[in-house]
Amino acid sequence: MEHTVKYRLGDWRLHLAVLVLIIIAESIYIHIIPMGPGSLLLLPFLYAFVLGLLINPNVVPIARRLIRREDTRRATPWIMIAILPFIAKFGSTIGPAIESIIAAGPALLLQELGNLGTMLLALPVAVLLLRMNRETIGATFSVAREPSLAIISDKYGLKSPEGAGVMGVYVCGTLFGTIVFATMASYIGSAGWFHPFSLAMACGVGSGSMLAACTGALVPLFPDLEDQVVAYAGASNLLTYATGLYIGLFVALPVAERLYRLLKRGGDPAATAAAGGPDHAEPASRADEPRQSKENDR
Amino acid sequence: MSAETTAETGRKAIDLPDYLITLPVVGVLGLVANWIGPDNPILESIPGMLILLVISFVGLVVTRYAPFDLPAVAWVTLVAMIVTLPWTPGSAWILGHLESMDFLALATSVLAYAALSIGHSEIDIFKRAGWKIVIVALLVFVGTFFGSAVVAEVTLKIQGII
Repeated sequence: MEHTVKYRLGDWRLHLAVLVLIIIAESIYIHIIPMGPGSLLLLPFLYAFVLGLLINPNVVPIARRLIRREDTRRATPWIMIAILPFIAKFGSTIGPAIESIIAAGPALLLQELGNLGTMLLALPVAVLLLRMNRETIGATFSVAREPSLAIISDKYGLKSPEGAGVMGVYVCGTLFGTIVFATMASYIGSAGWFHPFSLAMACGVGSGSMLAACTGALVPLFPDLEDQVVAYAGASNLLTYATGLYIGLFVALPVAERLYRLLKRGGDPAATAAAGGPDHAEPASRADEPRQSKENDR
Repeated sequence: MSAETTAETGRKAIDLPDYLITLPVVGVLGLVANWIGPDNPILESIPGMLILLVISFVGLVVTRYAPFDLPAVAWVTLVAMIVTLPWTPGSAWILGHLESMDFLALATSVLAYAALSIGHSEIDIFKRAGWKIVIVALLVFVGTFFGSAVVAEVTLKIQGII
């Protein structure tokens, strides 16, 4: 136990780096850039993330002079620790808003099924346009956070094509999920296509950092509604934590399997049988082929 | 990468005394962020931060000993929700202190650690997966966001809430 504590406080370089990142990011603070019908929000945590990548020796080798590789290995448990006070603040917005959250209960529950929207868009494109194989199932059945890794690992193993798919999207989420969610929420929020409450509920995808990015982008846009926006987002995220595993296992994954087989059969009967290896790097020109192409996908 | 370990072994491995030392570290970082950006003086924010740390710790205790398995973040959310319910004694006092805690500022340290935690294995998987997985990932994020937003919008309209 003492060993763990020493192990965690011993990486002072890591915490010093985080402190410096915080000071820089918070000094720049929030900037709003109008673009077309919406606006882009530049937020402190986005600067902290991008600057953090730039001083990460695994991403930018020369950064070794600032931070050691061991320090980066020790950063992972700290994400979980740092997110707790943030999540606590989030949860504290649900209590006071409990009545409006119960009133919006049907919307909150049903929008959990909206997470299946990932399959309506990503799965057909992956199969028909990108000509991907069984890695499609792992990649598109969910938003690929930890519970999804557990599901795929249990059913197929992480070394399988399905495992490669879910790991690929998981890593993409880790690398730029926050940036995508912040950009998407700020842009769509400022364009006014949806009510802020609907967008807030859509922010709860079951990932703390994506929730932070998404809600963080909405709040500066709707300062008068802050309490409710944060409460709805937090409630939606809590529901995803509670239901995500089961929806993934019993609804999303079977649907993804069926949809995948259906689309493959429509495209090429031989491809249905082909398991598809982990290597799906193909020439770029393939992606430009028309959907109707009957070509074998390997 | 913690990918394989988080889901199953996480809960039994929670070392509660360890958090008594690590939580204050992120608390200090949060206070700095909350001061520089949103301009909340550190001294005035200390009670609010202490409340958040206590809620976090209670959430971890529940995660460790609860009869069924939910992630710590879910328990922390629930604890925070319960102590701020209108009919919970003292909730007004808690909320009063939490007002000075800017939730955006609390996210800054999370993403700084996240950026620094990215290791070789992530970069390798990313390179191996290739450009197609990047497109698919983008569509997954857009799809889940729009899917939920559309369903929520329609349901809220039918309910007459918006």
